[in-house]
Amino acid sequence: MAIIYTCLIDMAYRSSLHNIHKELKARFTVFAGFEMPIQFSSIKDEHLAVRRTVGLFDVSHMSNVWITGEAAEKLISQTTVEDAAKIEDKKSQYTAFLKEDGTVIDDTIFMHLGDKYMLIPNAGMADTVTKWLNQKAEEYDIGATAENVSKDYVILAIQGPKSRDTLQKLTDTDLKTVGFFACQYIDIAGENCIVSHTGYTGELGFELNITPTKKAGDVFHKILDAGQEFGIKPIGLGARDTLRLEKGFILAGNEFKGGRTPLEAAMSWTINWEHNFIGKEALLRQKEKGDYERLTSMKCLDKGVPRNGCEIQKDGKKVGIVTSGTMSPCLNRGIAMGYVHRDYREKEEILDIIIRDKPVKAKVVRPPIVPKDWASQN
Amino acid sequence: MTDEVRDDLKYTESHEWLKEEGEIAKVGITDHAQSELTDIVFVELPEVGKEIKKGEELCVVESVKSVSELYAPVSGKIVNVNKKLEDAPETINESPYDEGWLVEIEVQDKSEIDNLLDAESYKKLI
Repeated sequence: MAIIYTCLIDMAYRSSLHNIHKELKARFTVFAGFEMPIQFSSIKDEHLAVRRTVGLFDVSHMSNVWITGEAAEKLISQTTVEDAAKIEDKKSQYTAFLKEDGTVIDDTIFMHLGDKYMLIPNAGMADTVTKWLNQKAEEYDIGATAENVSKDYVILAIQGPKSRDTLQKLTDTDLKTVGFFACQYIDIAGENCIVSHTGYTGELGFELNITPTKKAGDVFHKILDAGQEFGIKPIGLGARDTLRLEKGFILAGNEFKGGRTPLEAAMSWTINWEHNFIGKEALLRQKEKGDYERLTSMKCLDKGVPRNGCEIQKDGKKVGIVTSGTMSPCLNRGIAMGYVHRDYREKEEILDIIIRDKPVKAKVVRPPIVPKDWASQN
Repeated sequence: MTDEVRDDLKYTESHEWLKEEGEIAKVGITDHAQSELTDIVFVELPEVGKEIKKGEELCVVESVKSVSELYAPVSGKIVNVNKKLEDAPETINESPYDEGWLVEIEVQDKSEIDNLLDAESYKKLI
């Protein structure tokens, strides 16, 4: 037996919680000398724990960047597809940075925290994004500064229907008052964390940014203790990937790694066309032309597991390529995301995904591939 | 937790096991291999009747995150495959040496079996 294919997830990084993960018997994914847990018990079990009850992720591989200065809002509006003026204080927003040619540099959440903003760019993207923002601040004469503070923060994600009940045991703040995509400083387990009601799983959930990092281990343990009555599990990057794929959430490095615009990457819903931003002209031109491939979600009808790089065909002709694929732990079916020619991406269209030279029938679906009420139905 | 290695089986360096049953050899993957792969979600079995040479691709086993090829430990004709795995691939995780066998090969040359690793040598390998 020889492993001939392994999914690469995000970019690896050694978290300050590394020793805790080791004690919890994590298996690690190794990339360029950095490591993050890929799984603790089993990807399937971890996946189902998040869908049915609650799971705790260390996602410190993600970046933290502060934007400060009197024109911080203007810098975000200029460099992302969102108009930051529309995002109130204590609100989080998902958006993307584009180059002048309209292609995505990175996607990010930004959190509006009083007079400054915290961005959460992808793993390994902090330097690129910080440099880009400071360069654009200078170019457009905007009084704001970006600072990469990734090493100062541990990011924990607590996700699943029981995530709020778990966290509530560790804070006096009524978490029901923290709405979806709201963010604020909250004391959790005695530490003042930046808490955002967001996630990457499609479930109820919160993301905690903790500094200094040496305080994070204690918070991690206290969350695991608080969630014990609900059957909480620590979750690795393996399940993080299958969870996001079932919901049709894109992954930097898979769905875009340079060269894709937000129109192609199914991110058009994030674009606020009512403001000016870098890349807008290019997007308008592409939109008018309309002849671009679009990211499409698919569910296999036959047995087989689609993987990154599999060709997508219609009647023997290539019409697209898979960017992410897996066996869905909820559906027990192969699911995939990929770029498909615009003529073949209508809902219910049947396509062939070529897996080891054999066609596997798949149906075009609109995300989420796994519906919100899956856990209550199964 | 240590991986089980059974004394009555033969092994390959690539973590397949083989059990001699007269003219037929039953083949699967070892406990060590299944525990490394974790959650097996898909198995692609060969066609019955296919002639295969030692070292050739025998079947494909997929976990959530990986795809692995299995190699024929001996040459011969495939006379039976474990169809149950198509609907229950996790059987390999649960019972790698019994319920989770993969194929049965009608062995062409029994000396190929003698050249495989015994349990002691395989234990040293893992």
